[in-house]
Amino acid sequence: MVDNDTEENRNHCRSRSGRRAFLAAAGAAGVTGLSGCLGSIGGGGGGNTVTYGLLNPMSGAYSSLGPNQRRGAELAVEHINDSDAFDTQVETVTGDTQTDSTAAVQEAERLVNRNGATYLFGAISSSVALALNEFAAEQEIVYNPGGAAVPITGEACNEFVFRTETNTAQIAEAVSAYTANNLGTRVWFHIADYAYGESVLNRVRSRMQDANGNVEVVGTSRSQLGASNYDSFISEIANSDAEVAVLGMTGGDLINFVSQADGQGLKDQVNIMSPTMTFQTVRGALGDAAVGTYGGVRYLPKLTTGDNQQFVEAYRSQHDEDPDNFARVGYESLRMTVRGVDAAGSAEPTDVVEQLPGMEMDTIFGPNRFRDCDHQATNPTWMGEVVEGNGNLPGVETLQKVEGTDALPPCSELGCDLG
Amino acid sequence: MAAAGALFDQVLNGLTIGMVYVLLAAGLSIVFGVMDVINFAHGEFFALGAYFALSVAIATGPGGFWVALLVAPLLVAVVGAGVERFTVRPLYGRNPLYHILLTFGLVLVIKDVVELVWGPQPYQFAKPPVLRGTVEILGYGYSVYSYFVVGVGLLIAVGTWLALTRTKYGLIIRAGSMDRGMVRNLGIDVDRYYTLVFAFGALLAAVGGVVIAGRQSVSPGMGDSVIIPAFIIVVLGGLGSFRGAVVGGLAVGVVQTLVRSYVPVLEGLVVFLLMIVVLLVRPQGLFGNPEWAGADEGGDLLTVSGGGVFDSTLRRRAGAALVAAFAVVPLLVGLPSYYVNTLAVSIFVWALFALSLDLVMGYAGLVSLGHVLFYGVGAYATVLVVVNLVPSLWVALAVAIAVCTAVAWVVGHLSIRVSGVYFSMITLAFAELFHSAVYKFGWTGGSDGIFGGFDPTYGLVGGPAVRSIELVGDVELFYYVALAAAVGGYLLARRLIRAPFGSVLQAIRESEDRTAFVGYDVTAYKRRAFVVSGGLAGLAGGLSATLTGGVAPEFLAWILSGEVIVMTILGGMGTLYGPMLGAGVYLVVKDVLLSLTNAGSPLLVALGEFWQGALGLLFVAFVIFVPEGLVSLPETVASRIDRRSGGGETIAEDAEVSD
Repeated sequence: MVDNDTEENRNHCRSRSGRRAFLAAAGAAGVTGLSGCLGSIGGGGGGNTVTYGLLNPMSGAYSSLGPNQRRGAELAVEHINDSDAFDTQVETVTGDTQTDSTAAVQEAERLVNRNGATYLFGAISSSVALALNEFAAEQEIVYNPGGAAVPITGEACNEFVFRTETNTAQIAEAVSAYTANNLGTRVWFHIADYAYGESVLNRVRSRMQDANGNVEVVGTSRSQLGASNYDSFISEIANSDAEVAVLGMTGGDLINFVSQADGQGLKDQVNIMSPTMTFQTVRGALGDAAVGTYGGVRYLPKLTTGDNQQFVEAYRSQHDEDPDNFARVGYESLRMTVRGVDAAGSAEPTDVVEQLPGMEMDTIFGPNRFRDCDHQATNPTWMGEVVEGNGNLPGVETLQKVEGTDALPPCSELGCDLG
Repeated sequence: MAAAGALFDQVLNGLTIGMVYVLLAAGLSIVFGVMDVINFAHGEFFALGAYFALSVAIATGPGGFWVALLVAPLLVAVVGAGVERFTVRPLYGRNPLYHILLTFGLVLVIKDVVELVWGPQPYQFAKPPVLRGTVEILGYGYSVYSYFVVGVGLLIAVGTWLALTRTKYGLIIRAGSMDRGMVRNLGIDVDRYYTLVFAFGALLAAVGGVVIAGRQSVSPGMGDSVIIPAFIIVVLGGLGSFRGAVVGGLAVGVVQTLVRSYVPVLEGLVVFLLMIVVLLVRPQGLFGNPEWAGADEGGDLLTVSGGGVFDSTLRRRAGAALVAAFAVVPLLVGLPSYYVNTLAVSIFVWALFALSLDLVMGYAGLVSLGHVLFYGVGAYATVLVVVNLVPSLWVALAVAIAVCTAVAWVVGHLSIRVSGVYFSMITLAFAELFHSAVYKFGWTGGSDGIFGGFDPTYGLVGGPAVRSIELVGDVELFYYVALAAAVGGYLLARRLIRAPFGSVLQAIRESEDRTAFVGYDVTAYKRRAFVVSGGLAGLAGGLSATLTGGVAPEFLAWILSGEVIVMTILGGMGTLYGPMLGAGVYLVVKDVLLSLTNAGSPLLVALGEFWQGALGLLFVAFVIFVPEGLVSLPETVASRIDRRSGGGETIAEDAEVSD
């Protein structure tokens, strides 16, 4: 398969001899182990082949989300390889992050050094994505993170990281003003006690206060990440005079909270809003319990932007279900990056990262690009309400759209400056 | 009045979750009390209950919830009986330690089977309309479902209590949990009751799983999230005590809930603090009978014989040859960088970690379930020193070792006064305290961990970056650092074990009382071993962080403690090289399974996707068929061959321990 000698050899030479490491070594101890490598690095004309490592959480805490990421990416590979619109051919190798940073880095090493990958896509949890950020810079390979935490393209950004996932700042932009102006000004914040929860608290709170001067925080509570029992917080919120509860939590935490809130009748007393409420896994798990709540929208299969409907149809015909946001991220990460490979006319990551930033291209969301200064895709976001659907999966009605350029705060505010 | 209403709310909330804990802990406690089985798979029975209920409810349509409530636990009881009959039974008479390896394997298998059948996505279980919404009693409104959970829990707890106290079966089971030998001497075949007890324990857990499914999502991780609280409750209440499980379960539920709303800082910590305090005051738990622990039959701890097929000179030569091969081969043969610089380094790191555990577990008989504490603290210390103080790898590792020995001294001081499973649980509690704590501070990086700015160097204040120096054939210098640490750790441990210190440790493991009678300060010796072990584990953690390029809370996850115990038992406890070998085999097998997804053949790809289950099956088979670990494999094979050719005796029963 990928066991091609020159590929292998070249990647040996790349190993840990990345630019930063190289400079450090050359400065202090002289260069060892580099001889004989320079010859094997060659640019190519049209028709390059790149090896993409799909490194998704197939086991561990995010094992319910990883497989969709991978399906989306695999669909992109089929489209790219079959389409005349792309010069580049893509081969894939796969790995399992196990939702663990140590395991993820080890798997990444294997994909790069053993299987010859020079492009990586995957991970959802922020600690794993941040570990892979460092790995990508060190190895000088392109990495598309699947995590939504701001620091991935904020304080921890680097020139090799390109993100098509919508980050939490973009979502906060979509939900804050609408919540303050339509759902209530007396707000209770409940967050899971970790980086994501804190970022929702800080960002949504300040954006809500910017949007409406009457916003008043009547209470703030925190639960441990992964907690399964939220009765005490629900009782506290019910016993307060809050009009809206903003939940800074994701996945199982959010599902359990809303399910228990529904059991206690909290929906009748306050509006419930969470930036991640409309996610397909959340709606699917909650069923009717989610109906009547509000949330940010990163992606919906019914969107008519860009070539979304072609994507949805192709995905449906393969998997007999609608793609979710993670599938979209998998699909678009590969497609946007390979457009950059085409434009650079070279499979070398160092060439591609010169070409890709700011390059305008057609995507599922219509015209889009990786922003120059932080390599974050300028995705639009929406405010949505969960409504009755057909069958077990409730639907989502979009209430307000925020355009891609408006949703993304300036780079300086997010802590990245790639120029 | 409002405040009183809020408090009443919280107490009811606590009782609701407490009842689920009672169902879980009661089964676990009875199983341990009667059978001495430390059942890590208990949480999976809980999850299976929820999943079976899901399927039964869907299959039977309206009213399915009530059918599921009856049928799902019975199905799980059948699974439990099968598990006991085919996997647990071959292990009776052996030390409970082996159940850790066995049930750890079962957890992996059951979890993968669940994902295979139901998929990884979370489900929500539709409650019947009668149980939705709130009900008002005396002007006070509260969730109907919570009342329902409390009611079901109460009913089952009372039923179980009556069965235990008023029936002949209950009498025998209670007698068995107090003194199995005596029951046997009275002519009762206690073993026949084991299947029943195990199945009943699984049934109780499954009922808990079914009722919790109405409150939270049903997902593959739900077993993991309850197993630690369940163990804590069992230990708090006293092993084998049904009353303890009930009181402990309700108390933990209520305390957890109240602390969550009134002292939120302590959330996640309070349960562990509670357990540590209770065990320090009452080492046998609230309702445990100290005499039961005294009458501990223990079972055979199958440490490996020093004799056997290879004599000690041969073994020494083999060891030296192996180290020489590790040192030279990568330089001569152009091995792929991944195998040398990543896989081999990670094997050295885990070999060192397993060695450190073996020092306390295989020699002093202390089963530390919290050993990940030192690994994690070592990793954090290394990263924090490099990021904030000096970039030198050597300084950072030295600080890591120093911090870990200090932590080990304190934890050892507090923990070693309790013994057996209580020791395992108190060390686990300390590890979980640290795990929860790193989320709460800014300087530890919270849930994101610390990855940026971690660039250790070989010099004292600067110099070449650690991962940048490559020797001939792409071998990194760091490979030799890790190899030296593993070999150095081994030589240090061997020196200790061969010294009088080591003889005392082994004497303690064989009989603590006799060692004390001879005049040794048993506690002091154990504590010293624990401190050395903590330092070595800290070094392993520091090296691991360097390999990963940073640190995150996953470094303190209790599952790593489980993994290192598995490696140690897999390799063979009570030898120093066995656990190191176990680490190597574990990681190589895992790597092979993981890489199968790129193998091409569909069959192999499917096996690669089932890697956790495959690994689990391997453990189960291993603990049943090769109980003394990998290092005993040559002897086991030799004795099989001997027996087949009709000659020779079986291997010596009372084997002496050596390095």
